Amino acid sequence: MRRLPVYLLLDTSGSMSGEPIEAVKNGVQIMISSLRQNPQAIETAFISIITFDSSARQAIPLTDLASFQMPDIRATGTTALGEALQLVSQCIDREVAKTTTEQKGDWKPLVFIMTDGVPTDSWQNGLTAFKQRKTAYTVACAAGHAADTAVLKQITENVVSLDTADSATISRFFAWVTASIGVTSTRVEDSGKEVTGLHELPPPPAELNIVV
Amino acid sequence: MGKKYIRELFAAKQITIASSKEQLFDAFLNDTANQQIAQQILENQQRLMDIWQYKNRLADIQQQPVTIPNATVGKPYQATLDFRQLNWSDVTWTAIEGLEEFGLQYDAATGAIEGTPVKPGDYRLRLQFRLAGGDAEAAAHEKLLPLVINPNPRSLWKNIPSDTADPFWKADEVAECAPLGDRWVTVASKRGRSHANVGSFRDDDYAFRHLEPSGWSVLAVSDGAGSAKLSREGSRLACAGITDYFEQYFNTAPTADIDKLFEEHASGTGMDTQKKINHLVYDTLGKAAFAVHKKLEDFATAQQVSIKDLHSTLIFVLLKKYAFGYVIMSFGVGDCPIGLLNKDCSAITLMNRLDVGEFGGGTRFITMPEIFTSDKFPTRFGFKLVPDFAYLMLMTDGIYDPKFVVEANLEKIDIWKTFLDDLNGNNPENTALPLGDHSPESAGRLAAWMDFWSPGNHDDRTLMIIS
Repeated sequence: MRRLPVYLLLDTSGSMSGEPIEAVKNGVQIMISSLRQNPQAIETAFISIITFDSSARQAIPLTDLASFQMPDIRATGTTALGEALQLVSQCIDREVAKTTTEQKGDWKPLVFIMTDGVPTDSWQNGLTAFKQRKTAYTVACAAGHAADTAVLKQITENVVSLDTADSATISRFFAWVTASIGVTSTRVEDSGKEVTGLHELPPPPAELNIVV
Repeated sequence: MGKKYIRELFAAKQITIASSKEQLFDAFLNDTANQQIAQQILENQQRLMDIWQYKNRLADIQQQPVTIPNATVGKPYQATLDFRQLNWSDVTWTAIEGLEEFGLQYDAATGAIEGTPVKPGDYRLRLQFRLAGGDAEAAAHEKLLPLVINPNPRSLWKNIPSDTADPFWKADEVAECAPLGDRWVTVASKRGRSHANVGSFRDDDYAFRHLEPSGWSVLAVSDGAGSAKLSREGSRLACAGITDYFEQYFNTAPTADIDKLFEEHASGTGMDTQKKINHLVYDTLGKAAFAVHKKLEDFATAQQVSIKDLHSTLIFVLLKKYAFGYVIMSFGVGDCPIGLLNKDCSAITLMNRLDVGEFGGGTRFITMPEIFTSDKFPTRFGFKLVPDFAYLMLMTDGIYDPKFVVEANLEKIDIWKTFLDDLNGNNPENTALPLGDHSPESAGRLAAWMDFWSPGNHDDRTLMIIS
């Protein structure tokens, strides 16, 4: 079966502690529960969570929705976004099956990045590695005004920003991510076509500003 | 009772025993009343520490992350609270109340949670427990265990009938079993779950006809593109267009000349028969394909829609029985295979080259004018002259994706043998056609077989079997 891999890159630096990190955890939890109600998503979508603070780690390897369990996420340290990009590149290489004449590979992965700050590591190498991987689309979300949208714009053309990193706004972001994963899994199952960009996704809610 | 202990106790309060008072201190320690007081201090100290240890241990257990695997409705579930692994040797008693509500049971002796879940949701189980050293009379402690029960994926699919009032409506499901010359055709075409879930139409189609007096049979299968809004009509027009075309064609075609060519070729008597046959196949089937393309173009114009809205793949076969065997000619555009199994099912011939997305630069449709001018056009034809055959099968990707997975498998006889076994009932649903049976129930049985479950494969399914 062709899986639809979804990578969530979540900023867990110290500035996220308190309300923002709780909102992120809650958002992911609700996202998983509601995707489990979608017949196409529960069969095709596989989720991985990569967190980054002073370093990056894969908290959850690519896991099907039915067996997914929420990890404990804590906010501490700095913002190693470059390392996270490096890590997701390695994960894609390792976890996403390629199509050959003998096997049908996975669908191209979806990548969602959420950060509230500026990278504190040398992130250019990570960016170069990530750019070499093929994704169906990558969406970067700048949560609050401290996030640097110019940096995110270099990672992907699909950048959205949240005016505040409070729980209501963050939950709207995850609701939109949920809808986007739902639409993509329906689309790949129905027509066998990948979604390629923001314009094919459900319209983002008013809280999400599209950065052009 | 240690002298040392009392000395340390005093020292903690900065009371030291001067050497001149050693005798007095000894006498003090020998006093029974004082010994009792010291004993009490020791006991209280021990008790205090025990209480603290207990509270500490309780807090550890309550904070200890304990995860049990997620369950799924209708799927037998078994998880175990492994006390040894959890380091719970001091847990003396456990119970989980209210599990029956979810269709589960807890066995305190083994720590097993078992059963077949009935209710989906995100739950928190209340694990009640007692610890060694605790008050047996007091209420048990409680720890919440998260348990996810997934819905049964099959229950999430809705089956919404398509709109019969739509101008291009077609039945969500059709199946037939009919004689075809000296053979039989069994065919079923079913709307996929992804379409049923939203009440949209079946995009697949098929047609077949046996033509007399020429003796030729014509078979066609088409898959309308999911993204094209009128492809359900495109596929219908393509299949009906092919059978109509050949019905007319054989009314006026030089069938005697055609028969003679094949007879000469079979007996090895004619001149350049292979070349003439190649020309005949190319000319006859190519013109038919182009006529269908034109028909779709005319329809699009009349409806004032783009021909892209009718995008459909098309495979078709001309089949005729001769004294020396069968002549089979084919044409294909798109990713639907035509497979020919020899008499004892020991060899498979894939009659057509598939236009497969990732390697062929996207699939192709009969609605695309460029296929007729492409230098690949001659590779779309197939010809076989065989003494006999077991089965000739035409199918859409709704069958081929789940059952063959990749194109390369369509040329592997072992995979076909598994497929034949599957049709004969070797499948999880135990649904059998079976092959070779031509009773009035055969059509319904093929349709029932076609309900097989394959995660991620919910496209329309069409399978035509000539047996």
